[in-house]
Amino acid sequence: MSSIDSRRTGRRQILKGAGALATAGVIGMPAIVKGQSGAIKIGVPTILSGRVAVLGQTSVGGLKVVFDKVNETGGINGRKIELVVRDSKGAPQEAAKVTRDLINNDGCQIIIDAEASSGAFAVQEVIREIGVLCIHSNSETSSLTADPKLHVPTAFRTARQGIHDAIGGGDYAAKIAKAKGLKKWATCSPDYAYGRSNTAEFMEYAKHFDGNIQVVEESWPKLFQPDYTEVVTKVLNAKADAMYSALWGGDLVAFIDQANLYGLFDKQASFMVNLGDYGVVDQVKQFPQGVYSGGRYNRTVPPTKENEEWYQNYVKTQKHKPTNWSWENDVAAQMVVEALKKTNGDTNGKKLAEVIKGMTIKTQFGVGGSVTMRAEDNTLVNYIIGYGVSLSKEPYIADFQTSPWEPIYELEKQWKKKQGYAS
Amino acid sequence: MTGRWRDLALAGAGLVILLLVPLFGAPPAIRDFIMFGMAYGLLAMSLNLLIGYSGLVSFGHAMFFASGAYAFGLAMQSGKFSIPAAFALAIVFTAVLALIVGAICVRLNEIYFAFLTLAFQMLFYNVILGWVSFTGGDQGLMGGIPRPKFLGIDLADRTQLYVFCSVAFIICIAILRQLVTSPFGYTLRLIRDNQERAAFLGVNVPLVKLTCFVISACVAGVGGILLTLFVSGAYPNFGFWTTSGEAIFMILLGGSNVFLGPLVGTVILRLLNDITVTYTSHTELVLGIVILILVLGLRKGPLDLIAERLENRRQAAAQAVRDAADAGAADTRKGGS
Repeated sequence: MSSIDSRRTGRRQILKGAGALATAGVIGMPAIVKGQSGAIKIGVPTILSGRVAVLGQTSVGGLKVVFDKVNETGGINGRKIELVVRDSKGAPQEAAKVTRDLINNDGCQIIIDAEASSGAFAVQEVIREIGVLCIHSNSETSSLTADPKLHVPTAFRTARQGIHDAIGGGDYAAKIAKAKGLKKWATCSPDYAYGRSNTAEFMEYAKHFDGNIQVVEESWPKLFQPDYTEVVTKVLNAKADAMYSALWGGDLVAFIDQANLYGLFDKQASFMVNLGDYGVVDQVKQFPQGVYSGGRYNRTVPPTKENEEWYQNYVKTQKHKPTNWSWENDVAAQMVVEALKKTNGDTNGKKLAEVIKGMTIKTQFGVGGSVTMRAEDNTLVNYIIGYGVSLSKEPYIADFQTSPWEPIYELEKQWKKKQGYAS
Repeated sequence: MTGRWRDLALAGAGLVILLLVPLFGAPPAIRDFIMFGMAYGLLAMSLNLLIGYSGLVSFGHAMFFASGAYAFGLAMQSGKFSIPAAFALAIVFTAVLALIVGAICVRLNEIYFAFLTLAFQMLFYNVILGWVSFTGGDQGLMGGIPRPKFLGIDLADRTQLYVFCSVAFIICIAILRQLVTSPFGYTLRLIRDNQERAAFLGVNVPLVKLTCFVISACVAGVGGILLTLFVSGAYPNFGFWTTSGEAIFMILLGGSNVFLGPLVGTVILRLLNDITVTYTSHTELVLGIVILILVLGLRKGPLDLIAERLENRRQAAAQAVRDAADAGAADTRKGGS
């Protein structure tokens, strides 16, 4: 089993160090010696408390599934992998400090950053300075890896990327819009950078694929807003043909529960990128039927034996259902393991980065059974993107259509030029 | 040695102790802990200038912590300023902001002052969130904070950064100490204890309060700058109400009546946070229990309690001396009669 260092002896080292400093004149040297166990230590800054604690819980679950298996079969050249998980409470400055502590104090040689986006940018700066291998496993903000100014040679991303989802989703939405004559659209997304940029990009590409689409109403509920009555009423009053929403987590659950009271989902077509994830499915009182849902994680997507086995194993070992974050972290862990095998257990950041760049691994989460870490911008490509239609009971998603990657690559290039990320 | 020179000597000694940390080969984690503590320590110490010395309970002090951080970070990212120039610019910006906010708030008392400062803080916070093209919105200032060399100092080097932060921290603490022990500091206490009496004695109460508000904000701004240098970024939650709340916790934990109380509170809070976070994700629960114990059990910060005990002991000793002197005098009188 991969052990999660719950004893966190490193903190004791801080206290010992503080004591040593107090008596430094007598002792002469601080009594701090980093543990030299044979284990390969991997630090995981994440969010384990508060409203999005499920992010940390299911991210760690995804990592453990892989590392446990590696440890059970002898580890990497006989060395076990040890996870050291720390809660940043969602504060970027804490994420930065926790990451520094994981490396400097706990002796972690690799970082898997399971933070949300703002924390990920803070972690990126620590990695820029220290230079260990880092894999951002949850941040979907495109600029993290797309913007060359933010590039860090030893930092990679296995999380899905906002621009990829927007292009794939826009293509799917346009096809439905053309077929059903959905011209007037309303949007309802959280009022912060992710919500605004995600919605803008989705609608941009929906319009790109179907020039008849126009946005007639925009609603921007505040993050963690408890009451959505006003927003639901606003969307209904717009009498739009369709609605797009980038609400997520607890906000999405609250919105659906309240929108159901008004029959919102019966009165128009709805597209929700974050709907079909078990974190939402299990929380909503009455899961809506017939909503177009983005692919996050579902045991039937892809409908393969490997995916079902992975799901069953995850639930059995972790005692909860996996989420989108689980597969992203599963891929992060697999890439780290493959890289360590290739370097014979050498944890040097540069060496690991060299082998991860351009690496392709086999996984059921990839189109055709594989995903690739694109060398050009250190980000994951060829993972499964797509939309399906929601069902009110298992498997909750039907008619899932996987987006082809070729148009995504092409439009992503144009998007990068537009953003000034590429010439 | 006068009190002023003694304080300056103590500040010098404090600086020497801080600078000895890297010399004794302390691991980076301890330096990080101290740097983080210095940034938040300045926030708490500066807030206590308002709460403890002036009776102005501000719920919006983190606004100035964030304004220092963002002004410095944006100036450095523009590439047009050296570190000292950006440092000065950030302090000036924070001072102007505090002057505007303070001019509106300081005429109000107690709960009205507290809530108006909170309202301004949330306004500032929402400007940071909303002005995405300038501040990066909820993602904060991305891409790191450039640290070009100046006067041969390279803040990209962690040891030199530590020394820089230590010097800035000690200068701020020394300024605060000089302030609270000066006639201006005693005027603040007079206003805190009896505002009307101070006015009758000819003190321009709003002006003194405003001056205190601006100075306090500037010191908080320096704390924000240090944190920006430490994490190489600035984030909206630097200016969120929870950060102001954290500073109030620090004052509660350390004590508001002893000068260094908030600093002790900062160390306690950071240690509690760092230790509990290693064992549990229920950090807030642990902090809440500790604060409950302090509030219900001690009813004051540990430093306040120690200071009170020492004062009681000193007074008891003085009383004993007086009693002995009185008894001696009585014996003399008896003998004489």
